[in-house]
Amino acid sequence: MNVFATLLKGFAWGWAAIAPAAVGWAVETDTAGNNRQQQAAPATAAPPETATPPVAVEGLPYVYTNWKHLTVADGLPNDHVFAVKADGPKVWIGTEDGLACYDKRTGKIRSWREKDGLPWKVVSSFAVNKKTGELWVGLFGGGLARFSGGRFDHFHQLNSGLVNDVVYGVAVENDHVWAATTAGASRYNTVTGQWTIYTEKNSPMEEIWNYGVSYDAGKVYLGIWGSGVLEFDVATERWKDYLDPDGEMEIDLYRDDGIVHVITTGTSYVDGILWVSSYFGMCRYDGRHWRGYYAHETGLPSDFGNSVAGRGADEAWFATDKGLGVVTDFPTDTWVTYTMDPKKRTGRAVIRRGTDVLKTVEMPKSIPHNYALWVDFDGNDVWVGTSKGLGWAIGSDYYPGLKAN
Amino acid sequence: MRSDMSTTFRTTTRVRAVVAATVVCGLLLAALARPAPLGAAEEAHPVYIGARQCATCHQGEGMGHQFARWLLSKHSAAYAALAKPESQEIARLSGIPREPQEAAMCLGCHATGVQVEAWERDETFVTEDGVQCEKCHGPGSEYANAEIMVNRKLSERAGLMIPVMNDCMGCHNVKGSHVAVLKTPKLDMDQAWEQLKHPTPDPWKTGEGPELPKPAEDTTQAKYTGSVACGQCHKGPMMGYQFGKWRMSKHASAYAVLASPEGYALAKEAGVEGDPRLSPDCLKCHTAAYHDPAGGFGKRFALDEGVGCEACHGAGSEYSHEAVMRDPPAARSAGLKQVARETCLGCHQNAHDKPFDYEQALAKIAHPKQTPAVAEAPCYKTPLHMALSPDAKELYVACEAAHTVIVVDVAARRKVAEIPAGHHPTDVTFSPDGTRAYVSNRLDDTVSVIHVAARKVLATIAVGDEPHGVLTDPAGTVLYVLNTSSDDISVIDTASLQEIKRLSAGRSPWSLALSPDGAQIFATNNLSQFVEFRTPSQSEITVIDTARLVVADRLVVPAANLLQGIAWHPGGEFALITLNRTKNLVPMTRLMQGWTITNGMGVVWRDGRVAQVLLDEPNLCFPDPTDVAVSPDGRLALVTSSGSDRVAVVDLSKLIAMLGAASDYDREHVFPNHMGKPTEFVIAHIPVRQSPRGVLITPDGKSAFVANALDDSLSVIDLESLAVVDRVDLGGPKEITKTRYGERLFHSADITFHRQFSCHSCHPDGHVDGITYDIEPDGIGISPVDNRTLRGILDTAPFKWEGTNPSLQRQCGPRLSVFFTRIQPFTPEQLSALDTYICTIPRPPNRYRPLGAELTDAQRRGRAMFNRTMANDGRVIPKDRRCVTCHFPPLYTDRSRRDVGTKMPLDRESEFDVPHLNNIYDSAPYLHNGIAETLEQIWTTFNPYDEHGVTNDMTKDQLNDLIEYLKTL
Repeated sequence: MNVFATLLKGFAWGWAAIAPAAVGWAVETDTAGNNRQQQAAPATAAPPETATPPVAVEGLPYVYTNWKHLTVADGLPNDHVFAVKADGPKVWIGTEDGLACYDKRTGKIRSWREKDGLPWKVVSSFAVNKKTGELWVGLFGGGLARFSGGRFDHFHQLNSGLVNDVVYGVAVENDHVWAATTAGASRYNTVTGQWTIYTEKNSPMEEIWNYGVSYDAGKVYLGIWGSGVLEFDVATERWKDYLDPDGEMEIDLYRDDGIVHVITTGTSYVDGILWVSSYFGMCRYDGRHWRGYYAHETGLPSDFGNSVAGRGADEAWFATDKGLGVVTDFPTDTWVTYTMDPKKRTGRAVIRRGTDVLKTVEMPKSIPHNYALWVDFDGNDVWVGTSKGLGWAIGSDYYPGLKAN
Repeated sequence: MRSDMSTTFRTTTRVRAVVAATVVCGLLLAALARPAPLGAAEEAHPVYIGARQCATCHQGEGMGHQFARWLLSKHSAAYAALAKPESQEIARLSGIPREPQEAAMCLGCHATGVQVEAWERDETFVTEDGVQCEKCHGPGSEYANAEIMVNRKLSERAGLMIPVMNDCMGCHNVKGSHVAVLKTPKLDMDQAWEQLKHPTPDPWKTGEGPELPKPAEDTTQAKYTGSVACGQCHKGPMMGYQFGKWRMSKHASAYAVLASPEGYALAKEAGVEGDPRLSPDCLKCHTAAYHDPAGGFGKRFALDEGVGCEACHGAGSEYSHEAVMRDPPAARSAGLKQVARETCLGCHQNAHDKPFDYEQALAKIAHPKQTPAVAEAPCYKTPLHMALSPDAKELYVACEAAHTVIVVDVAARRKVAEIPAGHHPTDVTFSPDGTRAYVSNRLDDTVSVIHVAARKVLATIAVGDEPHGVLTDPAGTVLYVLNTSSDDISVIDTASLQEIKRLSAGRSPWSLALSPDGAQIFATNNLSQFVEFRTPSQSEITVIDTARLVVADRLVVPAANLLQGIAWHPGGEFALITLNRTKNLVPMTRLMQGWTITNGMGVVWRDGRVAQVLLDEPNLCFPDPTDVAVSPDGRLALVTSSGSDRVAVVDLSKLIAMLGAASDYDREHVFPNHMGKPTEFVIAHIPVRQSPRGVLITPDGKSAFVANALDDSLSVIDLESLAVVDRVDLGGPKEITKTRYGERLFHSADITFHRQFSCHSCHPDGHVDGITYDIEPDGIGISPVDNRTLRGILDTAPFKWEGTNPSLQRQCGPRLSVFFTRIQPFTPEQLSALDTYICTIPRPPNRYRPLGAELTDAQRRGRAMFNRTMANDGRVIPKDRRCVTCHFPPLYTDRSRRDVGTKMPLDRESEFDVPHLNNIYDSAPYLHNGIAETLEQIWTTFNPYDEHGVTNDMTKDQLNDLIEYLKTL
């Protein structure tokens, strides 16, 4: 039976896909060590030909130095935080073994495991329907859940039209909910109840292993393992694909000629700018020009991007396996790299412009772990999901772009 | 879609070309045409081409006059028959609230190709031709090709269906509605089969038919348009069903009768040898075109229509335009003839030596535009819910059966106005400023916005499925509408009258009430949430945050269902709800803890706690608690019992004190089932009229109004004396029809043991309560069955999931008394009335596809899955494993019992009744025991061996498509 077969196949691929993350947790010290070495390397890297030429720029970006950590000790059901979503006073936290909600007003954490009604224990992604207040929960291996008024509604491949239960990403688009799954993308009309499946049959999806989905301003973007980025225009219901002009090679023959690699993990569309994370670098697309980012020439701590969150046309946060890389001011190519020292548990932020280190800020705390999986913005604050808890960067005096010292 | 359409157009053009070639050049030329590829039927998209295209070959002596035989059959007049008064009566009996000629259910058997889209009917196809060749043989575009048709194997591969007798049963199975009206005996299928036979002679010769006569030389003369063209305007009730009357007359078969043995005999007597159809002398009076040569022929004109409209009224091309016809002098000058004695005598005088009486004949064929006045069924009001205007001067009453809102002067206690609304008004509310009233129209899926001063509807808002409760926020800027069938809440911006969002409710949201501080709205839900198989119900109170317009909380009410009425206590600490506690998990033999269904109410505290108490007392049950109101001083609550025609008066201080003094255990486990407790807080029962539904207390706290749904009245209760002091007559008919009597029986608990529940208790408003019952008296839970809807069930016999009850009489008679009522059964008179009422419970229009609407791409693909004959790997699917075999339109059931592999350990039988699929989306859960919460689960979980249709080869997107199509049926 194909339905069952699809389920089994989904699990097989799904667990294979999450394997890198598991490795990340297992080799924490080594990973962090390598990370530090690698961060020193860019000083010797030659600037790319098409990179922004060095110019004298006054001012520095904002650096988050006030961090809080939330872990199992604080009440999280598990420290492997796959997803986080801020929604007003509530912060939803998706972990490997349950859902949690941090109430910023009270400082308390409430959690749900399967025994509490959570349909599946591994929470991989979130989306909030701002109109209805409903929280949509991606469940890795368990499908999709709607959490509304304390009630979980479970949608899975056996009781609904969801294409596959291994859900990596979820997004709300108008009255629809999108799910990025290991066997294609699903679009659910919450008013009519209709499910639509997108695979290689009806979209330019060369591979069907969908990692991420995001929506803004009439465009849905899917980040797909092996199929780059697909753009779905909601008004016309037409697709457009963005593939690596260099094919599937892990090197960039002609830089800024397109997406850096077809194995994409995340997309974020904001202010008309598409930010993309992949396992082989990141990129930015303004509708006309692509810009590729690699660790050896930017503030990216690694080319292995788990996800991306765009904050605007000029700022994006990349969660990688070796820390957070933040392009804080696109025009000047200014970056802040956040890492933690796994031995001392202290944090560090390195400000770079291109390959030039402008400033290094040491701090008592930064991200809880260098294996970062998710970033979400909460006004001036930023939430970071890692493999050792949740990081809360408090930025009361945050400013975008640059400011003179 | 684009590729589908282009294929279709190509195909259609090709077919027409081939048919034309066949006519002109015969088989030899046709044989040169390129053969259709094998398997083309699977790839192509066949369209209906109409019986006349078949006739190009299948007419004449050489083909046994097959076409003429069809023209003379009842099949060809099946569409026209829907214009008969009897058809109207059948439709009414069947709960079909529209013209039979416009109802998919009727057309499904009385016409051809009804379920398909418009583009799937070629321009040569005429719906008015009723049951045509393609009804039984399948759409013909791909096989109606002489070269293919000579080869049976090729023909079948191209889509030609060779029906067997059983295929006829989809339409010809005994239908209660038809028997009741037509009094016809069961069709003798063997005899019918013999009559219908139309074998092709051996040897055969195709296509001998008369040519159209040469047009008149004066090319300015009007042309014949054909009666079908006239029928476009002259077929409906507004035109007295004139087309249908003609189509059922002998005039319409005047051509075909020439091919009958009688036609041959009369022709021979008149000296005509051979086929009379080919004789201009015969055709002169048996067709319009030969009778009076005209300037030519429109493309829809056909000789075979016999003596059509234009035979008497003249060729119509110049006068048939609507604008001309609406101006009689203009029509006359454009050629519309006045019919006189001479018009008829030209053919009928001494024809075949038969006497002709003009006056008699005229009376026989009379077709006035105005149909004779017939006594219309009394139109009742059926008041359900009420709203008081903010100034407390007027009461608006939503009247379901009258499709109106009745305005009552509160002080004078009399009806002062009646405002037409949509269909089935259910609830009504005022805007806080009193300028508008909002009315939910359950059958239309709309809300009517009434201009209070003008007393008329100023706008209609589309909302979700079957809107029920309506209420605004304190400021009146937002209107909440509970959509009881789509399980959600429409949030309407009252300035723009646009829906701004849709909130998820529980199941079947019913009524709602605003907290005194305006911060929260509590909404009841009529059906339990889905629970694990054979576990107690869990119903929901949906809590809306009025500031954020979102669902803030969902309160769980365990072991309860049918949460309907709701009212807040003025103190704001709690709200009251009505509820049932249905004991569906234990055999219906248990007297302990209240028999089958206990009736009660709930106290819903602001912090989310819910306490349940019963309103049933030993030997004094309170069936179907429906609505609740609290006095402004918070002292009393009134609760209506629609099943016992009473109102209970609850002393709230006693109730709250009783709950406060109890232990947690007693509150949670004892009181919800304790029939001895109501005497501690129910201080009076006030008898009112039939089926009290809504209840409302005036702001001064002096009186209450109760809407007596089946008495078309309001009872006025004096809250001082706790007695009814007045009856407000809403103006319904005094006569109680059989149907109304049946409706009263349906809603009354008088027939049941302890008078504890009614038919309505399990079938609220004729639909479902969404739970699975252990009905059998075995005591061990054998044969649990899902409750089934009563909407539109008349012709779906047999009844019961095991299909053992052949009629509603049996279902509602002996069976009801054995398993449910346990006291004397209904009398025959009562039973007949009850069944009559049940049959009239209407099925709402399908929300996913209005009649005639195009299918969406997904629905279209789903239809292909529904009708498919091959699996994805090319295997031929056995006929009994195809969806369409058992779920045959228009009822989408073959009304048989089938084993589809769903027998489970608790089941006694393996064969179950094939359920009809109409509006299948609104009656979850599914399968005989309700184990499938969704349509998907039927096939993803409960069809592992392809016994319930071959489905396991389907990909997930194909299954999704199939479900999208099923929702359109």
